[in-house]
Amino acid sequence: MYEPRIIAFLCSWCSYTGADTAGIARMKSPANIRAVRVPCSGRVSPELVIRAFDQGADGVLVLGCHIGECHYDTGNHRAAKRLPILRSLMTFVGLEPERLRLDWVSASEGERFSKIAEEFTSSVRALGPVRWRVDPGERQAVSQKLAAAREAISYPETNCVAKTDAIRQKARDLLASEQVSCVIGYEVSQRGRTRPVFVYTPEETGQLVWNPDCTNNLTTYLPAKLRPVKGKETPKPVAVVVKPCDSKAINVMLAENLYRRDQVYVLGVACEGIRGPDGNLQTRCVTCQEAVPIIYDTLISGTTSSFIPRISSNSREELAELEGATPVERLEFWLSQFDRCIRCYACRQACPMCNCPECLYERDDSTFIGLGIGLNEKRTFHLGRAYHLAGRCVGCNECERACPMNIPIGLLNQKLADEIEAAFDYRAGLTVTPSPIVTVLSGEYKEG
Amino acid sequence: MSKPAAERKRWLISQVELEAWLDGIANARKLIAPRQVSDIMLYRPVTKSVEIAWREQMPVSTHTNRPVLSVKEIFFPPTERLFTIQKTGQEIHLEETFPDWETVVFGVRPCDARGVKLLDALFLDTNPVDSFYARRRGNTTLIGLACKEMGSTCFCTSVGGAPDDAHDMDIMLYEADGGYLVEAVTEKGRFIIPGGEWKETSTKPQQSTYSGQFPVPEKGKWPEHFNDEYWMKISERCLSCRACAYVCPTCRCFALRDEMLAPGEFERIRCWDACAGENYRRVAGGHKPRAEKGERLRNRFYCKFYYYPEQYGLGAASACTGCGRCIEVCPAGVDITEVLMNLEKPA
Repeated sequence: MYEPRIIAFLCSWCSYTGADTAGIARMKSPANIRAVRVPCSGRVSPELVIRAFDQGADGVLVLGCHIGECHYDTGNHRAAKRLPILRSLMTFVGLEPERLRLDWVSASEGERFSKIAEEFTSSVRALGPVRWRVDPGERQAVSQKLAAAREAISYPETNCVAKTDAIRQKARDLLASEQVSCVIGYEVSQRGRTRPVFVYTPEETGQLVWNPDCTNNLTTYLPAKLRPVKGKETPKPVAVVVKPCDSKAINVMLAENLYRRDQVYVLGVACEGIRGPDGNLQTRCVTCQEAVPIIYDTLISGTTSSFIPRISSNSREELAELEGATPVERLEFWLSQFDRCIRCYACRQACPMCNCPECLYERDDSTFIGLGIGLNEKRTFHLGRAYHLAGRCVGCNECERACPMNIPIGLLNQKLADEIEAAFDYRAGLTVTPSPIVTVLSGEYKEG
Repeated sequence: MSKPAAERKRWLISQVELEAWLDGIANARKLIAPRQVSDIMLYRPVTKSVEIAWREQMPVSTHTNRPVLSVKEIFFPPTERLFTIQKTGQEIHLEETFPDWETVVFGVRPCDARGVKLLDALFLDTNPVDSFYARRRGNTTLIGLACKEMGSTCFCTSVGGAPDDAHDMDIMLYEADGGYLVEAVTEKGRFIIPGGEWKETSTKPQQSTYSGQFPVPEKGKWPEHFNDEYWMKISERCLSCRACAYVCPTCRCFALRDEMLAPGEFERIRCWDACAGENYRRVAGGHKPRAEKGERLRNRFYCKFYYYPEQYGLGAASACTGCGRCIEVCPAGVDITEVLMNLEKPA
């Protein structure tokens, strides 16, 4: 019989004392459990749980005070909000959901502690050893079935001249009247590649263009551009060209107080969809529901209004297929994907929502991740990043586009966006409200 | 040492003979070749020649000309364990973990082989010799495959290379009528050629099509442009990711750290690092000598065309092989050829 290793995070006030009560009453509880005493179940951050599995735990048990009895008021509400979301993410990448359990045990409930510990241990024991941790050098077979081909939608001919002219005109006016100090837009390089450009004078505005290859989410550059620097004058307002998907990122940034609304002038462009490198419509555009930016100061609608009929469902085909797969297939699929990662952080750097001054996964003293470019570290990084984007990701899918190794990172974000919508009836970026799960952790928790 | 072109022996073989040869190699040694992984091409171990991705078989997307990562990862892997540390009581025991198998890499692009040669200058030719790199290098035979033409981002001819340059290979293959022309470049290469069974020939390989050559500024021109406004301007779009450095055949910065495996058991690992990253070269106290991303991006170009050639005596050669990978992967469109063409233009 396999004896699993189980890490239990026990709230110091209720559950740890509950475990003591069980001991004093001479109740039996399995020896598989290694208890870690934490001040509150709200202290158990998702990174800790990911790390525990990463280091070879077969199961993680989180116990806290009953809802309404938290010694810090709402700490257990935190746990109740984030651990189920984390579980769905980890299940999505191939962990059996039974391996992560959150429950409540009060100080007097010794019997309950012993029952939960027994139940959890036997369910994890039945699952056998965890397949999560990968030994360095070991490679998993790729499940061909899941390498789903994307249906190609060819990109229609559109007239971009009118939009280009309108962008240039507006940029010229804004710079000439000194309303803004800089316009962030798109230009075409000598090589013919469309890329971001920063325009500072009315004379340079001729560089600006609009075309079906304007893929970059330019709002990524805003926080650094508008961040006040000690000893320097307040940064002047900046104008930015945005597509509908990009515009949602501005809403999230405003909700997180990264800059003020009056610091950005939004040049919103009505979008017909963006081309991928194969010349077809990009994946994100296939499921996009917005033709016009959510937030703008000037709308550049051009002369055409050819909105491509989109697929109505929110989910990508691959998402549905993955959800229908077994945990083993999902694990195989994701390991083969993460295996290609080189930790270049292009995904994170291209992401408008990844704007921490220093990434938790890049700190020299980080205890949540190793330095190596091995499978465990790569998966930890991607799961942690996906979780940090829960309820914040606006689905611009720049991470996936920026990835030199073509890893479908966007699927993780999309999965969590769907989960958050189901649990909190919230989609990021539609209004200036912070994420119900990462940014705002306190507040009422409704059971059920 | 590579033999001069006139002294090299050549054979003409068919696709079937080539595959049989590679199958034989895969049986006896570790064979690494371009493989299709998901929808990109990478150098990966193969057990049979049918697993090899030939250029024509790759799906039409951005990454078609060459594997996304260069052969650098075979000699200087993203992460490697240097040794393990075991602590029992007061005693500390170190155990080195040397890589020790014979490897043959097939389908090496000339730009990649040149990249390895350039890395030798640091890892092999300068003391102290890097024993891990040296082991791998000594145990590895490079079988090149000439590119018939240059890709859209390639510029090897501008930095002293060529799509059919056999210099830094052990064996070179050229596509020819009815199969491949095999050329033994070094003695090491000759060793794995089953010469007797093959038809020897005196035909010279057909030259590949060269394209897009442009003048690259000489090494001496770089210092005077160090303080140009240009660097801050072009770096504005840079996202400070490390994609350019990690796909580069000659970027070789690394970080070292001891990590715990189990109580009392540690490993020292070495893994890739890159100057574009925000924390690169941060020192105790938090000071970063290159805090601005313009300074970091400038460093990348200076390292390729000035610092590295200067430090390791490359003469007029630069540390760039013109593979064009950084142009292809940059999510923000930073373009090294544009920098080279614009360096001497007045601002």
